[in-house]
Amino acid sequence: MKLRNLLSSCVALALSSLATAGDLVAIKAGHVETVSHGCIQHAVILVEDGKIVTVGKDLPIERGIPIIEAPDLWIVPGFVDPYSRVGLDARGGSEFNPQIRAEAELFPRNEEFEETLETGVTTLGLYPPGSGGMPGQACAIRPVGATAQEMLIKSGSYLLFVFRSDARSKKMLKDAFEKADEYVEKEKKAREKWDKDQSKKKDDKKDEKKEEKKEEKKEGTAADFQDEVAQDKKDEKAEKTDAAKGYVPPEADEKIKPFLDLRANKLRMLVTLFGAADWLHFSQALGKEKIGYDLRIALTRDIDVYEVAKQIGEKKLRVVMEPEITTMAGTLRQRNLPAEFVAAGAKLVLLPRGDSPTALKNWPRNVGEIIAAGLDRDVALRAMTLEPAEMLGIAERVGSVDKDKDANLLFFNGDPFEPSSKLIAVMFEGRIVHGEVQQ
Amino acid sequence: MKLGHGQLGRRILLSVSSALLALSFAPTASAQDAGGEEKKDVSASEDAAKKEEDKWFAVINADVYPGTGGHFRDGTILAKNGKIEQIGVEVDLPEGTTVLDAGGLRVYPGLVAYASSGLFGASSSDFADTVNTFSPNLVMALGNGITTAGQSGAALKLKRGEIEGVLMKEKATTLLNFSAQNPQGRRSLLEKFDASARYLRDYRAWEEQKKSDKDAKEPSKKDSDATIVQVLRGDVRARFQADDREELLGVARLAQKYGFRPVIEGCREGWTVAEELGRAGAYAVVTPRDRTDKSEELVAAGGTSIENAAILRRHGVQVAIVPSSKGVDLGGIAGRDILALTVEAGFGVRGGLTNEAALEAITVVPARLLGVEHRVGTIEVGKDCDLLVCDGDLMHYETFVQQAVVDGKVVYEKNKELFYAHIRPNIDSVLAPETRVDKGQEGAAKPAEGEAKDKEEKKDEKGPDQGDKKDDKKD
Repeated sequence: MKLRNLLSSCVALALSSLATAGDLVAIKAGHVETVSHGCIQHAVILVEDGKIVTVGKDLPIERGIPIIEAPDLWIVPGFVDPYSRVGLDARGGSEFNPQIRAEAELFPRNEEFEETLETGVTTLGLYPPGSGGMPGQACAIRPVGATAQEMLIKSGSYLLFVFRSDARSKKMLKDAFEKADEYVEKEKKAREKWDKDQSKKKDDKKDEKKEEKKEEKKEGTAADFQDEVAQDKKDEKAEKTDAAKGYVPPEADEKIKPFLDLRANKLRMLVTLFGAADWLHFSQALGKEKIGYDLRIALTRDIDVYEVAKQIGEKKLRVVMEPEITTMAGTLRQRNLPAEFVAAGAKLVLLPRGDSPTALKNWPRNVGEIIAAGLDRDVALRAMTLEPAEMLGIAERVGSVDKDKDANLLFFNGDPFEPSSKLIAVMFEGRIVHGEVQQ
Repeated sequence: MKLGHGQLGRRILLSVSSALLALSFAPTASAQDAGGEEKKDVSASEDAAKKEEDKWFAVINADVYPGTGGHFRDGTILAKNGKIEQIGVEVDLPEGTTVLDAGGLRVYPGLVAYASSGLFGASSSDFADTVNTFSPNLVMALGNGITTAGQSGAALKLKRGEIEGVLMKEKATTLLNFSAQNPQGRRSLLEKFDASARYLRDYRAWEEQKKSDKDAKEPSKKDSDATIVQVLRGDVRARFQADDREELLGVARLAQKYGFRPVIEGCREGWTVAEELGRAGAYAVVTPRDRTDKSEELVAAGGTSIENAAILRRHGVQVAIVPSSKGVDLGGIAGRDILALTVEAGFGVRGGLTNEAALEAITVVPARLLGVEHRVGTIEVGKDCDLLVCDGDLMHYETFVQQAVVDGKVVYEKNKELFYAHIRPNIDSVLAPETRVDKGQEGAAKPAEGEAKDKEEKKDEKGPDQGDKKDDKKD
């Protein structure tokens, strides 16, 4: 293992030096699955500074640019696993901690990241640990980097909510939004007050001198008078600083902020469901709240979520599930739930069956089984690349073979979903980090 | 929804209602004749103006057993938004009514299981937030006719795939322990009853006194028990678990002393003290197939009797019937779990209970005990449209529920579910012979409009073989 790592890193080094020489490299490939706009035969991909510059069919290549020749290979975008605990080992309970962020656990230079990269997973969504409740917010990372900051692509990709059909889960959701309402109310009042003060002060300024004179004539103790004057002065001062700063809204509780973000569409929610009834209870608890959310449905043997596939499909929601064939509750009748949800209109994200290198390595093959059982192939490929990238909110950077995206490319010696196909090489941001290709 | 599989009834669309129905189902609904049509349009548009989203549902051509005694043929039950709007022989159906044709089939009220467990998922409390209405047990219960069930003292509706409206009544009954084997508990319960009755008396006196004297002091709730007060006020029913003669008499005396109507679960030796129980206004929840030997120490009659339910009923005790197991379990194979509700009632009939009384014992009486009698238990105008379409006498062992309707929605169809679809799939074979002759004759005398089309559809559904067979019969 270590020897292989060493070898591959040697190769990577050699290649990267090659690539950095001109910072430019062209790839000539037999098939390129762009995901965003179909498959291109005899394609040329031009990569510069780790980004894809152009993709097209039979493009001319300037002389002097190093060329990777892959006439028999299939190129697909690097896989995106949006729901992973690779390299993390904290444990969580079932509390309400929406403010916690998964990147706090991130430990760079963990060997696991390198192994992950070798399996073709070039982007990870890491979620915070928890068996229930709201354990926190996930982040999107690249599995390469010397520091956590270097690895991080996006913090706060989604808020995880492990929902169970019970009063506690439902109350947790309702309470959170009620508190968000309270904050909005508070903020509104603060703003009104500020506006009022602002206009009042303007009036005050006009009348200031007159009033001061009047006040002198007024009956009252000297102390009162002095207080008032002092107050006026303070107000003036405050006004000056306010005017300079403008309106500053009151600080929201850190546990409430994520819910304001949810409402403002700055954050998505990933809701874990364990059965069809959970969906009903979650919908009821959510009520009329309008937020963006995806559904994580762990496919267990007898899961009955097919009962609500239609409802979920009609809402065009995104479902996140493993490539598994399940059985109908109490029977041996098999069901292809990923395909059923897609047929119902849902968007699909497929996950590897686990976080281990073996599970990640078998990911395309497992998806292949679902394709064999009826899932559309293009949908399946999208479900491992662009769809999870969109779910993590980083689709402008990864997920497809397109101009300006990171050059995360996988070289297979055949259709990636065929069991006989092998991952020959992995290019990560323009560098071959695993395997070998012909130069 | 497609028409149901009451094929025989469908062939002769004679009554006004069914003729209208055929019209509303024909794709060219505009090209139609006659007066009844106009009437219907007027009423339909009025309704549409009133409320656009009214949902109409009707069962037609049914032999209706409403559970209130008696039955009638060719009946129509029309429901609006899940509540029964009209019952009769000639009922006009508003436009857009979802129709279930029960031609040649019997329609009963949905059954009420007085006590159940495990139909609504794992949890046994906090139903509003935990129910799983996709559970296979729930579907099986529907398939055996249960549309309302008691669980942990609450009354629940078997609304498949919905969670709103499942919980009908949160606290319908409360279990009290008045067993002679627990003298301490017995004494403390008596004290609670005493104190609570005194409180209520004082409270009433105070209410009177208040009218004349505004400064009258409200009696203190001290010593009184909130649950017992509810029982004495009649808000919650007290239930007792008692089988022995002496225990039964104890409960009867307690009830008579404090003036409430007890629910007695078990009641195995009830038949020996039926008169006393009747006088105490007791309700009994019995299992006709229970077996216990008589205690050898006693001279008086004892032990179980198959006639228990019948004797109790004769003495004015309202009887509810439950199978010996509340859950859905392997016992189902032996017919002793909750799914065998109708079979158990059948044994009540074997012990001398009338058919009507046996039907009441699994519908309206348990509904009454659960405090939801105003909503379920019989087919009456204003009640929830919970119906069963059966292919024979409900309590016959051969009978299957073909369709179960809850709140005006078909939630179970035998031919579409995994559980019983393979058993006697062709329902024509189990229809009563006289029904077949009747329908055949009428059909032969005057073939109804759209007959041929119906037949074609049927052939498509069931294959050419069966279609031919039917033609033979008709000829």
